[in-house]
Amino acid sequence: MPATTKTNFQLVSNGILNENPIFRLALSMCPAVGISTTVMNGIMLGIAVLFVQVFSSCTIAAIKNYIHPRIRIPTYTLTIATWVTVIDLVLAAYLPAAYKEMGIFVKLIVAFAIITMRLETFACKNSVPASFWDGIGMGFGFMFGMVALGFVRELLGMGTILGYDVLGFRPLLFFVLPAAGFFCVGIMMAMFNYMELVYNRNRRAK
Amino acid sequence: MKQIIRITVGLTVSCLIAALVMGSVFIVTDKAKKHNEHVNVQQTMLGLLGYTKSHPAPSDLKLYTVYRYILTDGNTSTLGYLLPVRKGDAAGYHLMVMDLNGQFVNQHPLDLTPNMASEATERTAALKKVVKPPQTFVYADATIVAMLGQKRLAYLLPGEFPGFKTFIHVMLALDPSFEILGLEITEQEEDPGLGAEIKQDYFKNQFKGKSFNKIKDLHVVKEPLPDEYKTYLEKDEGKRTPIPDKELDAIRANYQDKDIYALTGATISSKAVTDGVKTMVAKFAYRINRLESVISTQKIPVAF
Repeated sequence: MPATTKTNFQLVSNGILNENPIFRLALSMCPAVGISTTVMNGIMLGIAVLFVQVFSSCTIAAIKNYIHPRIRIPTYTLTIATWVTVIDLVLAAYLPAAYKEMGIFVKLIVAFAIITMRLETFACKNSVPASFWDGIGMGFGFMFGMVALGFVRELLGMGTILGYDVLGFRPLLFFVLPAAGFFCVGIMMAMFNYMELVYNRNRRAK
Repeated sequence: MKQIIRITVGLTVSCLIAALVMGSVFIVTDKAKKHNEHVNVQQTMLGLLGYTKSHPAPSDLKLYTVYRYILTDGNTSTLGYLLPVRKGDAAGYHLMVMDLNGQFVNQHPLDLTPNMASEATERTAALKKVVKPPQTFVYADATIVAMLGQKRLAYLLPGEFPGFKTFIHVMLALDPSFEILGLEITEQEEDPGLGAEIKQDYFKNQFKGKSFNKIKDLHVVKEPLPDEYKTYLEKDEGKRTPIPDKELDAIRANYQDKDIYALTGATISSKAVTDGVKTMVAKFAYRINRLESVISTQKIPVAF
């Protein structure tokens, strides 16, 4: 893949729609299934991924010429692990209030496929600014996916949104359980693909 | 061959750089992190005693920490208590050793101030001076005694017990008659939306006010939480609620001796917390009674 020719805006929207990490690339399904039980979890994990993705993408884009091709994957993992540790330590030291909420989410990130995959397919072939915007797009795309899932699961499972009681009762407890994550992801993925199908059909008809 | 060397060198260098970055960040942030954790624990403790920002703790509130160690010498184990004592005007620590039957063995003054004692390394160093090999020691737990002037206000017990997934860390506050003053979940990794609800007011506040006799026989019932009780449990201290005080007292009296209502879909977590609290209270009551009797017979000048 040659260096990207997309504008910054296209890079960001690409991450949110065309190449949405959860619904289009089907990456990082573990958190998507496991943690998307509430909207708040989605937002928190989204913010954490956004930061780690942007920092790692920029780092790799900056040092891409010095990485030996044979050891690029370990280098990516090391970069991600370093940033996760740094963010974790800094949050714990200087933003204790945020750390209390986000601490567990930041620690989860090291093994996320989406970040490694973005470094491999994008950051190591593009400039630092392009990688920055791509990282932003991917981070928000992931957050969007998690919030969408969390919204459905929290509303149907617990009858609340962001912890506020909306329905006043718990319609289907099943939606909070891990198994329901698979159903929600599957149905939303189908919706996303169907939307693209309709969009392309309309465009061809014109 | 050249390839192998390049790969080895490349990997080593990247690891070294990563280690350097992480190490330096750790060194820079470590102090602030420890401070935050300390503040966090302090806040939890004061919160359990009912002190908040709008209702701050009085200046004569003192917290004394008792550390319990297990001393092993060959096949025999003894218990070593680090007791805060008064030495004239200054405060210090004594190591008091008693056997498993609660009989006094000996005691040694320690070179330890209360500030130093909060650091595990300082305690180990001070203990090494009096506990000579082959006798070894391991840390068991700590208890905080809250004093208001000369009056004993409460015991604060940090503790942990297995939950549904991993260990649940809690801080429990007991009054001198072992009635529960409050329960705070400090660390847990239960399922979000299910077991993680144990940290919600409407669950953890159910333990508040349970008497020592009730705790001995506390069960978990799988019944829906009554609405009025839920409102009562979730009421914010100090804030006005739609329910008048009289009715709140009636609700409290009504549910005082009831069992713990299980969380919907998380009976195992609810049971784990209830059993954990039960065990903590029972063990603590047993230990503190033995400790008290030794302290009073040996006339140890304890600070609490």
